[in-house]
Amino acid sequence: MVLSRFWYALLGLVLGAALFLLGIASSMYNRSGLRARAEGLSSDAQVVSWYLRDDARQRSAQLIPFALESDVGKYLQKSNESEGKVPEDARAKLTQALTRVNAQIPKEAGFDSVFVVDQHGRVVAYLGYAQASGMDDFELGGYPVVADALHGYVRDDTLVLDRMYRVVARPVEYDLASMPAGAIIGARVIDDRFARELSSRTGAAIAFYANGQRAAAGSPVDFQTANLDAIVGDLTDLEQDKDYKEKGRSAVREIAGMIAVQYTRLPGEAWQLGAGYAVARQPASVSGPLGFFGHADEKDKKAGNWPIALLVALVAGGLGIAFSVLEHTRPLRVFKTEAEKFAAGSVEQLTPSRFRGLFRKIAADVNDGVDKQLAKGGGPRRGPADFKEVLGDIPDQPAMSAFSLPGDGVADAVAPSGPSSPQPASSARSGPGRALPSPPGAKKPRPPAPGGAASPPAPPAHLDATMPEGGLTGWGTGAPDEAEWQEVFQEFVATKQQCGENIDGFTYEKFAERLRKNRDTLVQKYGAKRVKFGVHVKDGKAALKANPIKE
Amino acid sequence: MAGVGYFPPTMKAPSGLPSSPSRWRSGRALGWLAALTFLAPASADAAAKLRGKVDGFRNLLNPVWAEARDPKQHGYSFREPVATVRAEFRRLFPHAPKEICVAAFAASPQKAPPPVLVRVGGGRTTPVTIVVPPGTRLTFQNTDPFKHRLHGVGIPTFQPADTARAMTREWSVPGAGVFEIRDELAPSLRMWVIADPTVAAIAYPSMKGDFALTVEEPGEYTVQAYFAGKKVGPALPVTVKDADLDLTKTPLKVGDEKAAAAADKAEADKDKAAAAEDGDKSGAGK
Repeated sequence: MVLSRFWYALLGLVLGAALFLLGIASSMYNRSGLRARAEGLSSDAQVVSWYLRDDARQRSAQLIPFALESDVGKYLQKSNESEGKVPEDARAKLTQALTRVNAQIPKEAGFDSVFVVDQHGRVVAYLGYAQASGMDDFELGGYPVVADALHGYVRDDTLVLDRMYRVVARPVEYDLASMPAGAIIGARVIDDRFARELSSRTGAAIAFYANGQRAAAGSPVDFQTANLDAIVGDLTDLEQDKDYKEKGRSAVREIAGMIAVQYTRLPGEAWQLGAGYAVARQPASVSGPLGFFGHADEKDKKAGNWPIALLVALVAGGLGIAFSVLEHTRPLRVFKTEAEKFAAGSVEQLTPSRFRGLFRKIAADVNDGVDKQLAKGGGPRRGPADFKEVLGDIPDQPAMSAFSLPGDGVADAVAPSGPSSPQPASSARSGPGRALPSPPGAKKPRPPAPGGAASPPAPPAHLDATMPEGGLTGWGTGAPDEAEWQEVFQEFVATKQQCGENIDGFTYEKFAERLRKNRDTLVQKYGAKRVKFGVHVKDGKAALKANPIKE
Repeated sequence: MAGVGYFPPTMKAPSGLPSSPSRWRSGRALGWLAALTFLAPASADAAAKLRGKVDGFRNLLNPVWAEARDPKQHGYSFREPVATVRAEFRRLFPHAPKEICVAAFAASPQKAPPPVLVRVGGGRTTPVTIVVPPGTRLTFQNTDPFKHRLHGVGIPTFQPADTARAMTREWSVPGAGVFEIRDELAPSLRMWVIADPTVAAIAYPSMKGDFALTVEEPGEYTVQAYFAGKKVGPALPVTVKDADLDLTKTPLKVGDEKAAAAADKAEADKDKAAAAEDGDKSGAGK
């Protein structure tokens, strides 16, 4: 069993080490994932910031065709000269000019809304802003982005009006000696479409928020956009973030273990209104050693090298089975085979040298035990008697059946074992009912029989035939071995008491008389030299067995 | 356009303002014109006009826009001057017709005028600065297609409250002093209300700086320009008799050219530094 045990210990160590390594690996993975996620989120936020700025710059360039359209400057100037009300023809001409120019701008580079504002800040014409429909004195001149454009600057802004807008504006010049005639303003609505476009171009999951609400969201296909709704609950605590408050970008925050986010304020008026965007990533941590299975995708599983893992498992399992067969199953089978031979009488004793380890000790102990039992006269037999083997040839029509001895109630049963020749113990171990040899030195001399009778040799065999109660009546005469009957009587009485039988009036004299008669009968019938009696329990009652002994 | 006279008694009361966009368009136009031109004085026969001129207002700086251009305010991701626009126009001077208020102060306290309409839209109020006697009721009318949330800075009687599209909100000036009105939903919106019991008339100059005040009674007046809640330029004492007065020969100089030039230079230096810093960041980012 050494190999098996060593193998079990080795497997245990490997398993423990594997769990330990997995624990370390998961911790390292989580730490690395946390760092990578933080870096990734910062990268996402920076990329989105750059994209917004670059997009604003590029779209501001799309305003140039509007500003250079001759009608735009001309009719803006006309509007400027009318401080009371915007001339209707200026509105119409500018609307036409806007439509004309806007049609030439590629759709992906265009705007959702375009406004033309005169020096008074009034919106003279616009496209794509139905909310202002019918508002003749709609104006935008107070917003810094518009004021800057009216004063000769190109810039961007993020306005939170009825919705969030990314806005770019530039001046419209008509007379270079004068201040700009007006400004042209392009706006893009920050909605889900905008967010999706941004997400597709930056690869980031992004959500815009304003006034404590999520305004728009977009994410890559492998990211659940609905998870971005979780930021709403986090916005109230966001103002406590020192970095966010001072620098406009928060630390990485994890929301309910679902997503990790980083918030960034949007440039422009939106900054002061607490509007911004959040980039999010799903956490890449594992909850434990087995958590890897939940996070592994098909690519990871392919990288797991299943053939080698399977081979290792098969080899380890095979070695374990081989060691088990070698050290457990095979010795057990050998022992079983030898025991069956022993039981069948093919061998006289178990041969310890054929076994190994504990089985060798067991075989030796079995042999010792059998020898000791034989030395004590044998135990009760648990099988039918082989009369022929024990008693020799039995007449077809016996004069007296060992099972039909008339009794007078002295003995409940007597089972004649039949005569047998006393043989060396080692020679009587070939089958059931035969005494096993005692191991050398294990023989103990039988105590002298009461009455000074010589101790008979150990019974070579015994017959386990049960006699009916009173079956000792008429037992024949034999060798005078009544000296040991006293012991048999004591044992018989004790057994009857243990079996709960009545012993009132049961005396040794009666007992001996019956034994004597039965002995004589058996001696006469089988030619035995003497008969040895033993006590056993049959069917819950004390019984006697008789061993005719031929010598 | 030049504002003339003060507080029209015929101006529509705020409660009478229509609430639907289609209806208030006409009413709004009338109310605003009335507020700026101060038509129909009670005793038109006795009214006298003080025609004057505001000079140097292009040397002033709109505080809201000036603040917004500061990179530290994160008001933009890029802001670049257009080279073809002359530098003098790149100065963020105010829009005089809305932001510079010229007031005539009498020697004695004046009655509170009828409610004054203040339009809220386009990122600012119109007017931006107004001088009124205490107790004057201001009616703020939202002319934007989205809501505003006006409030008075440190004014208990003017707490933040939403004003939906085309709706109005009223507030009475509680006493003498300078009051600032802001909008929680539009940071660029700032209005200043100067309350003085002796103000008799106000006017707003045109883009060229011309203005006209209408005073009802002859007497001694002081003409003073206000911008962003503060006095700008010197006070001009005038004596009004029956005839109109022409003050254009002594224009109200509200802005100093040298100071503005210095401010421009400082701003240009700041822009250069910001541009250099931005370049450094871009380089580092690469």
